[in-house]
Formats: sequence, C-alpha cells, structure tokens
Amino acid sequence: MSNDSVYKEVLLDHFHNPRNKGKLDDMDIVRRGSNPRCGDEIEVGIACDNEVLETVRFRGRGCSICLASASIMTECTTGLKLQQARQLIAQLQQWFNNPNSEMPPKENLAALGTIRQHPARKKCVLLAWQALDETLDGIEDRN
Amino acid sequence: MEPVPRKSELSRDPVAVDFEALRADFPIFATGQQPLHYLDSAASAQKPACVIESINQCYNHDYGPVHRGLYPLAESASEHYEAARRTIAHFINAAHPDQIVFTRSATESINLVAQGWAARHLQPGDEIWVSQMEHHSNFLPWQRVCKNRDARLRVIPLDSEGLIDLEKSKGLFGKNSRLIAITQVSNVLGTINPIREIVASAKQHNIPVLVDAAQSVGHMPVDVQDLDCDFLAASAHKMCGPTGIGFLYGKSDRLAATEPLLLGGGMVDEVNIDSSSWAEIPARFEAGSPNLAGAVGFAAAADYLRNIGLRAIEQQVKSLMLLAYEKLSSIGGIHLYGPAPGLNRGGIISFNIGGIHPHDIAHIAAEHGVAIRAGHHCCQPLMQHLGVSSTARASFNLYNNERDITALVAAILDAKRILGHR
Repeated sequence: MSNDSVYKEVLLDHFHNPRNKGKLDDMDIVRRGSNPRCGDEIEVGIACDNEVLETVRFRGRGCSICLASASIMTECTTGLKLQQARQLIAQLQQWFNNPNSEMPPKENLAALGTIRQHPARKKCVLLAWQALDETLDGIEDRN
Repeated sequence: MEPVPRKSELSRDPVAVDFEALRADFPIFATGQQPLHYLDSAASAQKPACVIESINQCYNHDYGPVHRGLYPLAESASEHYEAARRTIAHFINAAHPDQIVFTRSATESINLVAQGWAARHLQPGDEIWVSQMEHHSNFLPWQRVCKNRDARLRVIPLDSEGLIDLEKSKGLFGKNSRLIAITQVSNVLGTINPIREIVASAKQHNIPVLVDAAQSVGHMPVDVQDLDCDFLAASAHKMCGPTGIGFLYGKSDRLAATEPLLLGGGMVDEVNIDSSSWAEIPARFEAGSPNLAGAVGFAAAADYLRNIGLRAIEQQVKSLMLLAYEKLSSIGGIHLYGPAPGLNRGGIISFNIGGIHPHDIAHIAAEHGVAIRAGHHCCQPLMQHLGVSSTARASFNLYNNERDITALVAAILDAKRILGHR
C-alpha cells in the first residue's frame, strides 16, 4: 500500500478502539447526522456544565473514516467551551474546504489530513462534526 | 465516412478472439494511471482508440451542422449523423433506422417514454410495472408519472437468489397493466432477465414492454425484433462509446404515439403563431443541434464491438465473472449477491464483507490500483430488498483479464487485514 494511504495507524486505532462511543440516554441533547448515499448514521450527544462540554459521545454506523472522525472529535472537543467547539468545527470545515492549507486546526486532527485529497469522502469526516454543531444549536435554542 | 463492413457475431468463433491483444486498443491502459485494474465498466466503459479517433476525425475534418446547411460540409455532417443512426439500428437489428432516436442517455430515453408516451396514455387506476432491481433511472420516471396520473406503480418482487418472481406478480399481465418497464441485466446483481418470455406474455394482453438495456447492449447480442419489445433504451458510454449520447428504440406505432419532450430547432415541420406541427420521426424527438461527434463515436463503438463479435464478448466476460466469483467465494466473511453463476448472470458481481463498509473496501482497492464501485448503485429499492445500504461491485468488460481479478482479491484481503476485527 502506498505511503499516502488514508488508512494510517492513528485513524485505524480510533476505528478499532473508538473513544466515547456508547449510549446517549444521559446526554443533555442528541442530534443525528446521516448520509443516505453511504448509509452512514451517527448520533452525537453532549452534556454541558456552565458553557463547557463535559461529555461528548457518539453512536452509530458508518465507514471507518466516519467512525474514526467521530471518535477523534469526541477527544478533541471534550472540555472545550461551547464557543471554542464552534470555532473548531468551523476551522475543520475550512481546513477541508481548502486542501492547500497545511496546518490542521488542532494537532490531534492531523490524522484526518490525507482524506482532504479525497473529496468524495469529505462528508464521511464531517458527518459527526455537523451533528455536534447541531447539538450546539440545540443548547443555544434552549438557552 | 464508409460504414465498417459488418460481420455476424454469431458466425464468429469466440475462441479465435485474442482478448489480451485487444487490451492494446484501449489507450488508458498504457497512458493512464498505473497500475489500473479497471473493474467499474458497469458504471462506464473505457474507450478504444478507434472511437477516440473517430471523434477526432469528425471534429478535425468532417464537422458541420446537421440537417441545417446546403454546403458540402453540412451535407456530409448530416450524412455522417444518419449513417450513425443506421449503424445503431443495425447493431440492435431494428427494422428501420427511423426507430432509433438519439438522446443524451438511456436515462433520457426512459424519461421520454414516461413523459411523452405514458403520461398521455395512463388513466387513473392503471398500473405500470417495474422490478425491484431497477436502476433509479427506470424507477423514478415511472414513480412520478404514476403519481401525476393517479396510476399505481407495481413492483415485480425478487426471490432469494435475486431473480424476478413472476409467480408473485399477480396482475402483471392483468387488465390494468399498461406498461412493463424492466432491465435486461441488473447493474447490481448481474441477473439477466427473461425479456423474451415477459414480452411474449405481455403481448398476449397488449401490454407494451420497455427494456432498460444499459447493461446489455454492447455486452451481449441484443436483437430488438427477436425480443419483440416496444421500447428499448441504452447509452453509448457503457459500451465503449462516448458520454453524452444514447438512444431510444421504439416500434414505429409506439413512437408515433409519443409526444416530443423538447421543443425547438430541428423538430418542427411548420411553426405558426397559433400552432405548429412536428417533423417526421425521429427528428421530432431530437430538438436542438444534434450531437454529431457523439453519434459518430457511438457508431464507431458499435462497429468495434460487432467486429469482435458480441457472442465472443459475452462469453469472455462471463468466463471472467465465473473466475472472479470462484475466487471471491473463497474469501472468508464475503457475501456475494445475485444468482449463482449460470446462464442468467452477466459480468457484474456485488459483494459485502462483514464489518467492513463498502466505501472502505473501494478506497483500499483504489490504493491497490483497483477501480471498483461502492454505494447503492442508484438502486435503493434493491438495497432495501437486500437489507443493506450499499455494496461493493466489480464489473467486467472485454479488456479485463485474470490479473485484474488477482489484484481485486489481494485488495479485498488487504482491506480485511486493515479493517477486520483485531
């Protein structure tokens, strides 16, 4: 396999050992993202305390990239202030919209970098992040 | 342009064709990305040099407006366009070239029948029948026309092997049935449907049949007079021709009962402020400047395949499918869809591997230089029947060989190694 394979160890580790994957019953708010074209379906739940993301969890099914991205997302956003999480989502989207920009918005996201060369799989990466964005909308609406 | 002399595909001995040598006819295997194990011909086939060259020749030497000029270049352009129509008519053994309408694609052809023919003839309570294995392009046009006309869309179910189940299709040949629209070869399962038998039964009840031949024309001998179907739709690009052109075949009386969808230049007889009359068939269905280079390339593809022999191509592709089926079957955890290899299966194999998403299989295959398709293949009703959201699919054409299958198997094993349970 070539060196620019997207299936690098960090990503595979998140796929095989997903972090923060499980039941969402005790979450404050849950939102679902789906991509019917691939059959990917991800639910993201968050629990907040004082404008801080205490817990970010997901469950669902999808390709390895979709699931690994969701797992990486939970790690990168847990503990962030809501505003910071918003910012990170926007930065990630921008990073994907501009494959020439080099630096990932956060070091832990670097493993997703090679996927930027495969536009067909952008949606796999962003699905969980968009669902997270919607949970933040939900919190704002509630407040 | 002189038409290439035609040889009967049936009279040619398939064993005599050196398919390995024919690979050299396809420039992409020498000049494109390497390695290239192209197993996605059911999506779109690669093009031989003679097709590419015919299009170059058209633009470099013969190009002019079709049916719109009196100078030599315009006259020869018109002649090339009509010669292409004759070639395609002959290719599917249509009784007359006027039964061939050039369209953009098989999709457009089917939409023309749905909107131009069915919408005019359907009454509330009438039924249009499709099968569960149809491509969206032979499903959605009927779904819409049925909704608009208060008609019912009925579905021929599939059995556990992926064959159509006519016994469970009560009413298929009943008094409310107005049209049967069915694919000749499934783009997912590879199933070859018994079109002749369906048409024979439908004919006894005066029910017209439309055949979606996107996966069959150019892959096996297709004879519209032998099938006796009323309409047949196909695209050039799946049979080694250019993109952007396809055709609708229709029996003359059916085409006469069809209204044109696109109105404009070239399709009229007389235009007045209050009313207009249409040109002859097929010109009335070809509004706008025709796709001359597309038609020329399409005809070149038909001649190319005919010279090899459709029976030989069918047998070659089938033997590749059988070999692939056997090798894939031995991979642990694989599920192969569609009928067991037999007479009723073409060169398409869809599969899944437990726990691995088809997009991951296709992506890892791509990293091995193996081009396969993954997704729902524009067949969501079929995916619902199979109980999956998507599959991976390998499809074969005359330029494939055993090395492509070996590479496919290696790629799948690698996907299992990378993504399988640890």
